[in-house]
Amino acid sequence: MKDTFRGGVHPREHKDLSREEPLRLFHPVGEMVYPLSQHIGKPAKPVVKKNDPVLAGQLIAEADGFVSANVICSCSGRVKAIEKRRTISGALMECIVVENDGQFTPAGDYETRRDLSQLTGEEIKDRVRQAGIVGLGGAGFPTHVKLAPKDPNAIRWVIANGAECEPYLTCNDQLMRTKAREIIEGLELVLRLFPKAEGVVGIEKNKPEAIAAMEAAAAGKERIRVLRLHTKYPQGGEHTLIKVIVGADYPVSKLPADVGCIVDNVGTLYAIQRAVCYGEPLFTHGLTVSGKAVVKPRNFIVPDGTNVRELIEACGGVKEGAVLKKVLAGGPMMGFALSDLDVPVVKTTNGLTMILRDGVEVAERQRTACLRCGRCTTVCPTGLLPELMAEAARREDYDRYENKLHGLECVACGSCSFICPAKRPLTETFKQVKAEILARKRAAQAGGKK
Amino acid sequence: MNQKLNLSSGPHVRNYWTTRFIMLVVIAALLPATLVGIFVHGLQALWIILAAVIAAVATEFVFDKLTGRKDTWTDCSAALTGLLLALTLSPSVPLYIPILGSVFAIGLVKCCFGGLGKNFINPALAARCFLLISFPNAMTGFLVDGVSAATPMEVLKSGQVVNITRMFLGTSNGVIGGSVLALLIGGMLLWAYDVIHGQICISVLASFTLFIGLFGGQGFDPAFLAAHLCGGGVILGAFFMATDYVTSPVSRLAQTIYGVLIGVLGAMFRIYGHAADSFSYAIIIGNLFTPLIDTYIVSKPYAFRKRALQIHGLVHKKTFFDRFPKPVIAIAIIALVSGLALSGVFSMTKAPIEKQERAKAAAAYQSVIPEASDFSFLEEKVSRFAGEKYGTAFGAVTINEAVEGKDAAGKTVGYAVSVTSKEGYNGDLTYIIGFTGDGTITSITNTVNNETPGKGSLCKEPGFTGQFSGRNVSAFVLNGTGDEGVDGVSGATISSKASVNAINAALDFFRNVVKGGD
Repeated sequence: MKDTFRGGVHPREHKDLSREEPLRLFHPVGEMVYPLSQHIGKPAKPVVKKNDPVLAGQLIAEADGFVSANVICSCSGRVKAIEKRRTISGALMECIVVENDGQFTPAGDYETRRDLSQLTGEEIKDRVRQAGIVGLGGAGFPTHVKLAPKDPNAIRWVIANGAECEPYLTCNDQLMRTKAREIIEGLELVLRLFPKAEGVVGIEKNKPEAIAAMEAAAAGKERIRVLRLHTKYPQGGEHTLIKVIVGADYPVSKLPADVGCIVDNVGTLYAIQRAVCYGEPLFTHGLTVSGKAVVKPRNFIVPDGTNVRELIEACGGVKEGAVLKKVLAGGPMMGFALSDLDVPVVKTTNGLTMILRDGVEVAERQRTACLRCGRCTTVCPTGLLPELMAEAARREDYDRYENKLHGLECVACGSCSFICPAKRPLTETFKQVKAEILARKRAAQAGGKK
Repeated sequence: MNQKLNLSSGPHVRNYWTTRFIMLVVIAALLPATLVGIFVHGLQALWIILAAVIAAVATEFVFDKLTGRKDTWTDCSAALTGLLLALTLSPSVPLYIPILGSVFAIGLVKCCFGGLGKNFINPALAARCFLLISFPNAMTGFLVDGVSAATPMEVLKSGQVVNITRMFLGTSNGVIGGSVLALLIGGMLLWAYDVIHGQICISVLASFTLFIGLFGGQGFDPAFLAAHLCGGGVILGAFFMATDYVTSPVSRLAQTIYGVLIGVLGAMFRIYGHAADSFSYAIIIGNLFTPLIDTYIVSKPYAFRKRALQIHGLVHKKTFFDRFPKPVIAIAIIALVSGLALSGVFSMTKAPIEKQERAKAAAAYQSVIPEASDFSFLEEKVSRFAGEKYGTAFGAVTINEAVEGKDAAGKTVGYAVSVTSKEGYNGDLTYIIGFTGDGTITSITNTVNNETPGKGSLCKEPGFTGQFSGRNVSAFVLNGTGDEGVDGVSGATISSKASVNAINAALDFFRNVVKGGD
């Protein structure tokens, strides 16, 4: 089997900064903030009131409907307020604010292993739903929805995504090294739901220790194999990972389940294992603080709701004399820049990258007209023609953009912008055009209904 | 930690390749050919290159200042255009040629259409064609040791054998960037590092070779094909001109179609056209097709391609015809049909055209040997000199044909020699000179004359041609006195000199070859 996809880029990894840092459990001291929407789907509904006492692991907002997720408190203390706060995306959102008493008293027994012998598939899905687990790779799609496809027998692969192709991020690497058995057990639990599926753990070759640990943990498991992936961005994208395993791309209009795949981040699988085996809901997760600007790059197990500034200060803050250009939630390719550091970490925040050299700022100085050199076409993992898309977008020829060039298939991985020698803002344009086209369609639909 | 943070959309890291870096890489890839050019053709080549590059950059600089644009001259693309233009010029051109060409390329073709990335044809090639049309003599004059001579392409066109090794190394008379070896080294490096699109080079060269092989008249003779590939800028065109990013299509299939178009057109112009050195036109026509190709030939994303659909069980199994991409079949058929049609037309019209030309020639011969009713061509005697410079004393003169005129009884009544001087004021001057058996000139006709009207054009008037009739000398002396002296046309020294040289060459040829049996 091939170990990679066509296209892609290889940005400098910078993983050495933090790859040997063990995952430390972080104990925040300040107030904790829990946005009601940390996932794709409807925001959760609060089930606590102001001044209510809460414990770590307690449900504080419950899912509103099927495509939604529970929000769990990660500390013990008292609810201070339920109000609009700035969140990591920069938007103001309804949040539950908890005064942290620093005790982290658990709401239940998360140390004793439950008996799994009588466990049914429905119970597994139910525990995952109760635990408020969402995709920890970054998108935050509710996992219990993912685990309930129309036809479970049509699922042929359950893929554990340990590619971690974003530069700087190393928390999944550390997680796989230290929690390999637990991740494999989480994968086995998911495989119970899909009798015809094979478990595949995809890991990029730049993580030999993680590969060794996962292979050891998977040894003797008939339904599970570890796949070594070529080190290339965006190898950890859902589309590209599925492409390597299935051997073909699928359009964005389809879900992975439509082509027989369920993809879960290794962090998500670890959370599933904790939830099913120990009854522990999702309120901590792996996170890397790295970048050239930070004094001590670290990997953490961090409680949700932790203040970003507090976390950065725990890593020694910004280097003496260094000019911090950007703090990114996630890695430098798909992460987004923070406008404010006093925002809480949410379930999907898997990294904080603090950079000294802003590629966008440099690029704006070097920008020239498009050369039509075709590098964007070569690297596009989806097989699009970004230079023609940019031209169609410039002319606002959305018909050609959507129907002839299939521009809506863009997954916004950023490879085209990364490689562009003329430093055109390609990915940015495509995100805007996609939003514009979808808005127009909604408007047309609304108009049609009247 | 309370500094202001930048807010912008990702990706937040970028590759180190910039526009300027790419331009410098391509310039570096052209350096071997440039250095060989300077080495072979001397310092004059260096001055031409410098003039073209400096003029190109200066034009862009001035344009930037005039229009208040960001300084685009610093991106080195203008320098690359200048260098490419210089490499397509003869090393003997005067310096105003590269300067004018660069100003045209950058000022008109590039900047006026919006600058980098917006020109619709390759600026260097457009400038070359502009120069070819405006200064045909300077542009097609190639000097070897200070004497003008035919280029390998002209020799090849006339059906002669050329020295491929010299063409390959770039030591034969031709353009500055004529070293195929050096160009290949640079081109291959660019290809290896993915700077240029390999499929364009392959499809251009493959379709060109195939077409020349099929319709070139000499089959797939390796020496013949190699001579065609090494000459007339095919390698420079395929690796550095056709692959120009701005004027070539985007998707792979579109690039292949574009390459095949250029290759086939280039070969067709080569075989059927009049200009031996016509690859530039083929590339320019390819450039003009690029927007059209880009509009209609776009590749689908991987998820919509047949293979992906098959794997997901959305289309039927492969049939026999599915194995060949349809556009490839279509192009192959179009190329074949147009090629066959062309060669059909060519062979159908070949006989009538030849007949007509013979009749025209016969009329000319008739006029100088009025008694003759039948002409036999002395091909053996001429073929030894065909296409080459005749003698050393007559400048760039070639002997075209020689005939023996016979009357109805089959008795020889005279001879005629057709001779061309390439050193007219404006190109070729061709004369037909009639002789009696003892070498007395019966009369002279001037059949080709493109000289200045009222000056050099008078060379075809009886006032000039009449003075040679009835004389029998070994050589004429222009403006001389005595037996050998003839008068030139006043105000047309160059035309007169070339004419007398041509006539003297014919005299020499008649005495020493036709009669002398040399």
